[in-house]
Formats: sequence, C-alpha cells, structure tokens
Amino acid sequence: MKTFSRFLKLPDNTLFVVAMLIGSVLVAAIVVASASPASAQTMPFGAARDVSGFAGWVLSKQAIFYRALSGTILAAKNDGSALWTLMGISFVYGVFHAAGPGHGKAVISSYLLANNETWRRGVTLSFASALVQSLTAVLIVGVAAILLGGTAKMMGQAVRVIEITSYGLIVAIGARLLWVKGLGFLRAVAALRDVANDARDHHAIGAQNCAHHHHAHGAHGEGTCDNQSGLFQRHHHRSPVHCDACDHDHSHGHDHEPDVLPWGHAHGPEPQELAGPDGWKRGLSAIVAVGLRPCSGAIILLVFALSQGMLWAGVASAFVMGLGTAITVAAIATLAVSAKVFVRRFTTNEIGYGGVVVRGMEAGAAVLIMAFGLMLLAGYMASERLVGF
Amino acid sequence: MTLATFRLTRIGPAVRRLHLGAACWLFLTATPALAHPHVWVTMKEELLYAPDGALTGVRHAWTFDETFSAFATQGLSAKTKGRFTREELQSLAQTNIESLKEYRYFTYAVIDGRKQKGAFNEPIDYWLEFDPKKTELTLHLTLPLKSPVNARQLVIEVYDPEFFVDFGLADGNPVKLVGARPQCSVSTEKPYDSSFQPTPNLRGLFATNEANVGMGMSFANKISVQCP
Repeated sequence: MKTFSRFLKLPDNTLFVVAMLIGSVLVAAIVVASASPASAQTMPFGAARDVSGFAGWVLSKQAIFYRALSGTILAAKNDGSALWTLMGISFVYGVFHAAGPGHGKAVISSYLLANNETWRRGVTLSFASALVQSLTAVLIVGVAAILLGGTAKMMGQAVRVIEITSYGLIVAIGARLLWVKGLGFLRAVAALRDVANDARDHHAIGAQNCAHHHHAHGAHGEGTCDNQSGLFQRHHHRSPVHCDACDHDHSHGHDHEPDVLPWGHAHGPEPQELAGPDGWKRGLSAIVAVGLRPCSGAIILLVFALSQGMLWAGVASAFVMGLGTAITVAAIATLAVSAKVFVRRFTTNEIGYGGVVVRGMEAGAAVLIMAFGLMLLAGYMASERLVGF
Repeated sequence: MTLATFRLTRIGPAVRRLHLGAACWLFLTATPALAHPHVWVTMKEELLYAPDGALTGVRHAWTFDETFSAFATQGLSAKTKGRFTREELQSLAQTNIESLKEYRYFTYAVIDGRKQKGAFNEPIDYWLEFDPKKTELTLHLTLPLKSPVNARQLVIEVYDPEFFVDFGLADGNPVKLVGARPQCSVSTEKPYDSSFQPTPNLRGLFATNEANVGMGMSFANKISVQCP
C-alpha cells in the first residue's frame, strides 16, 4: 500500500506527461491512417498477409506495449515509481489498441451516422463504452478468478457468452436502425419521384411537394425535410410531426446544424441532446453492445497482476487503458460525424436529392452495423480470442 | 428542379467519393486481421525419424511467456504453492490440446514443395511442465504424420495465421533431428529477432523497432530438412 501513497503524488519524471502528449499526437496519426485505404492489405481465410507501413507499425507498437505492461507490473512490485510508467504505458497501449479490432469504433461510427447523432454524443458514447469494457474485464476477473477461484477455461467461457450477447445486440441494433432508416430512405426516394413528377407537371416545387407529400404519406415528411432529420426524430416521438421545410421556415433547422461539431457556431446543444431520456435509452444499448466484449489483453494482464499480488495496479491499468481506447474511438467517431456534416452541408437545402443521399447514408450505416454484428457472430470477423490454448 | 440538378452535378461526385471513402474506411478499420499477439511461444522442436529414414512426426516443446502462463494456471490447485506437477496440469494440457485442434496445432508440413493439408494426426502424447523459477509453462506434444514421409526436402512451418499467438524458435539449436540419417541437414528461418525483451521504460519502447512486425504465414517459422 506504500506504493499507493506515491501514486497520489505527481510523478518525478516527466514520462507520464510525455506519454499523454505523444498519445494525443498518435490519435491524430491513427485517424489519418485509418482514413487511408492503403494502410493495410488483408486477405481473408488465413491467406498470407502483408501488413506493413503504418498498420504494421501500429501493430508492432501494440505488441511492444502489451509485453511491456507485464514487465512494468513486475517492476512496480519493488519500485513504486514504476506505477507511473505503468499508467503511461497503459494509456498509450489503449490509444494504439483501439486502432485494432474489437473496440467497436466501426460500430460506434456507423451508429452515429445512422442515428444522426451529435459529436458530443459520439464522444460520450465512446467514453462510456470504453468504461464498460474496462469494467467487464475487471468484473470477469473479479468474479470468476477471485470470488469463484475459477480457471482460465471458465473465464474463456464467460467471455464467449458475453461476446455472443454483445454481437447479438449489435445485430439487433443494426436491424432496428435498418427498419427505421430503410423506411426513411424509401420515403426519400418516393419523395424524389414525386418532385420529378411535380416538376414535369410544371408545378411550383416547394409548395407542391409539401402538399403532395403530406397528401401522399400522411404526417411523415422525412424525405422533404432532410435538414430536419435530427429534430424530426425527436419530434416523431413527442409531438405531432411538423415539417419546417414545408412551412418555409428554414432558420430553425440551420440553427441546429452547427452543434453537431465542436467548431461550429457557439450555439449550445439542446439539453435533451445530451441527457434526454430518449437519447440515453437509445445510446445505452449501443454502449452496452459495444462495451460488453472485454479486451482479452486486459483480462490476461489482470490475472497476471493478481498472480503477482499487484491486482490494484492491474485494475488501474485496465481503466487507464480504457481511457486511451476511448480517445481513439472518440476521434474516429468525430471523423464519422464530420463526414456526415460535410455531406449534409451540400445537401440540406436540396429537395428530394439531399434526402436520398442523407437517408441512404443512414440506411447504409445501419446495414454496416448489422453486417458487423453478423460477421462477428459468424466468427468470420473474429475480434480477438482469449484462448488458443 | 434546375437548381437541384445544378447543385447535384456540381457536388455529386465529391459526395459520392466521400461516401465511398467513409464506407471503405469503416470496413478497413474493422479489418479482422489486425490483432496483435497476446501469447508468446518459444519453440524447441524435434523431428522424429523411423529407422528407414522416413519422418514420422514432430515433437513440440512450446514455452509460454510468463504473463500467459500466469493466466493459464489461474485457479489450478497445487499441493505446493507456485509449483505445479505434471498431474496437476494434466486437465489444462487436455484443454490446450482440445483447443489446438481447431487451429491444426499451428503446424504445417510442406513436402517436396507442396503444402499438405491435414498432414498430421491428433497428438499421441502431451503434457505440461511448469518451471517455478521462470514461472513459465511448457507444453509438450507429439504430432504424428498420417503417413511417414521419405522426402529429400521438406519444411515444417509453425505459425498462427491470426497472429494471436506469436511463435518464435528458441535461441541456440532449437531443432533436433531424432534418428535421421547422418547426411540430413536442418536449417531454420526465423521471422524476426525473438531476443526482444520487455523493458519498463517508455522511451525505450518508442525507440524499439524490430518487434514482431509481421503477421502469420508470411512470418512463419520455417524448419527445412534436406536429406540428399
């Protein structure tokens, strides 16, 4: 416990600070590299793989940091200051490791795209799911290994059950979103056809489209009010649907556009956007689905720390790892949201076409989520495995 | 309509590119193969020959790293704490062997230049050994070939295609030919420098570059035997 009094003091060396700085730089680098399609060449079904360049570098660093973690846990047994190094390595490992599979950044990004979520919610989702992930690892080791005195096999089975639950949830989220967004997409396509027909009939576009739309589809105005999709969704559950675009009142929609990005107007997010009961209910399923699957490395390291009588160092390391993971996932999620905002900037005022593009993007993202879930379930996209032995 | 058409022709390709790019990127970042190893194995190998000069099987001795050894022995009871006997480890060995089947024991044979699928039968004997000083587990297993091979040239490869397990040949003379004709010679190919040592020093970690930058087969451990 002497080590923990040191733990509360500032580190003597600057290593920790340096690690944080490097970590932040790396996040930027990882985002750039993940966006470049040439970063990795992979062939399925166990064929030869050639991983070089940035992806190879990230991998090699992951391996080095992972191995260093156990070495540092050992070092910390005799030298309390090594705990700081351990935290630094854990953080950087988390940052790097999130660039690998199994950390839900693809699912979270797709989820944000499909749901038209804000940047803030994306970051919140990333951090919450990373926290859940660290917690699951600690709980598995805490319950299976410490309380029940279970074996590696038992933990492997627990992970397997959790894994299947998590992947099943991802499929369910994808399916639900696809149902909602797929309908939206079809409506947008229908609206587009209406616009085309209206134009052929030499009617005024805006008014005719709205009238026609309300007439044809009852209260659903999604296709023609694509700049309102975020608001529309909330209104959808609460009040009779109304459609700003058709009321010729665009200002409302534009005011809300920027707060999906941090560098937008200085216009705060709506309260319900951050903590609305609907929002949380919606987000919670994603947090659980993505975060439930623990990281194999964290479990192995926690058990190692336990065997060395350094369990608390291991637990702290697992949470700091989660912090690093969250930063990478949040950065990538931000990129996804920015991409959508960028697309929408060009499409918001379009009647018909814009709706098709945005709705298509949302429906596509929902398909991606489902595909990820199914591939994970089928074992093709093995995220990580706990035992090969 | 004209306005919409104009806007769309102007920005259409850009949006499509972006959309496509975003989709590609999402898929790429979800690429399954990009896991890093969680288990390190140091291998010592024996190739077993029959009196007539045919290769009959391979005897592996795979030593796991300390971290994974601690994980694998978690919850196992031992009469003397920290010392596991072969008997106490037998159920774990059994689990290991059962799990390994799915991965074809990570062992592949290339005979006269042709890669053999399912060349090996299930292991005939296996056991685990625990080194209390190094706190490392070693898995011993003997894989018999389905049919003994009398080839002038053959290669045994050991690797995990998913790279969850990082195999590396031990230093020194990691491969022995047991009962082979005297004119047979063996050579090995290591995927990387396995002398990599974990260091609790962050600066050192960033400076290290030679660690396992390699995936599965392209970095397989190759044991080549020539029997002219």
